Amino acid sequence: MPTAPLRSAPSERPNAADSELLAFAQGAELAVHDLYVKAIDSGRFTGDELTVLEQFAAHHLAYAQSINGLIGKDATNQRNEGVYSAYASQMTTGSAAYRTLQTLENTLVATHTDILSNLDNHDAATLVASIITVEARHAAVFGVLPSMNLASALDNTASSIAPASSATVETTVAP
Amino acid sequence: MSDNTLSRRELLRMGGLTVVGATFLAACGKQANVPESANIASVGEVPPTTGLPAVEVTDEVLMRTAASLEYNAIETYELVLSSGLLKGDYAKLSDAVKRFRDDHTRHADAVNGLAVQLGGKAVTCGNARIRSLYIDPAVKLITETGNPDAGIDVIALAHGLENLATQTYQGVVGLLSTSQLRAAAMRIGADEARHAVVLAQVLNPGYGAVGPTTNETTGKPNVASVPMAFGALSSVQVTIGAPNAEGAKTTLAMETPSLNSLVYDYVSC
Repeated sequence: MPTAPLRSAPSERPNAADSELLAFAQGAELAVHDLYVKAIDSGRFTGDELTVLEQFAAHHLAYAQSINGLIGKDATNQRNEGVYSAYASQMTTGSAAYRTLQTLENTLVATHTDILSNLDNHDAATLVASIITVEARHAAVFGVLPSMNLASALDNTASSIAPASSATVETTVAP
Repeated sequence: MSDNTLSRRELLRMGGLTVVGATFLAACGKQANVPESANIASVGEVPPTTGLPAVEVTDEVLMRTAASLEYNAIETYELVLSSGLLKGDYAKLSDAVKRFRDDHTRHADAVNGLAVQLGGKAVTCGNARIRSLYIDPAVKLITETGNPDAGIDVIALAHGLENLATQTYQGVVGLLSTSQLRAAAMRIGADEARHAVVLAQVLNPGYGAVGPTTNETTGKPNVASVPMAFGALSSVQVTIGAPNAEGAKTTLAMETPSLNSLVYDYVSC
């Protein structure tokens, strides 16, 4: 009879190091949500194209809310201003907005995967995994629309912007 | 006489019951002049069985299973390329199919590398149960005589397998014991999700097909590039094959590997 694998007992709430990483992820999600809203409000997109942007924006808000549900009072519920300001000025045209949003989606995939490699909490890990698969889909959509570019859809050259996990930082023990 | 002791009458009655019981059980046993057969079960005669080895779902088993699914995908894409099913408008997809096959080969090497690091053996063949349950019946439906949509159906099968692979990697995150392995799984899972989007746009192109929509004629969900806000772990529906008299095609429901389709240590190619 197969038996379930042994794994570390899931904690009820993310520990301090996990909460720190998840709070960062939430700030990044809110920044990307606001950048989608900026694209939506630009008036450059209409019809089904606009609907897609609205759907993706709603997804990012849902991710931020889900993370808030996990970390509670540790959530800042504030967008990451560094991420927002770094990209907001780049969305000067419709195609530039698409490139920027695809870069952001790829960056979130890399960042969340990096965060996942340091998360201890089981519920947090499964949530982040369910976000990664959809953000990879978002990024691929910008590679296939408006015209198919296979490499753009499939390749992710973005780097993680996640802070180093405090779980890996040595702490000084007071004498 | 106290209540806890037996009277002579009761003792004799019990002795009689014992004799009757023993006679009955003897009658259920082997019978004289009847040849024994392993194929015919009789009362009191249990046919010999071969027990499965005791197994445990370890990180190594999950990595070996992932490798087997990668080989299922590689085999399917090889079949697509060699069968000549990509004809007409679909012929231009051969470059994408080759890219997907190569990606799956790279993924198989990666998860096999992890399985070996964990002390297991590499798997270099497709998952036999997934193949027999889903892929073989699907290929039979696609290639049967009278199917006018073999080209698009094979894309639909590939799309289903990519979604299945995505869900498998996402699903094992809840089972793997270390955060490093979970991240390794999702690096690959994200790639599979991207494959699924490219194929979804072949099956149902345009901005209007990115989010979830419903076919107004059949009432079934259309293929969507991004069907949900969060990655799903539900069954994957693939509609393929020659239409029946009512114009309806066969729908196959594919599930991620369960306990009886994992590639345990004792399973070999």
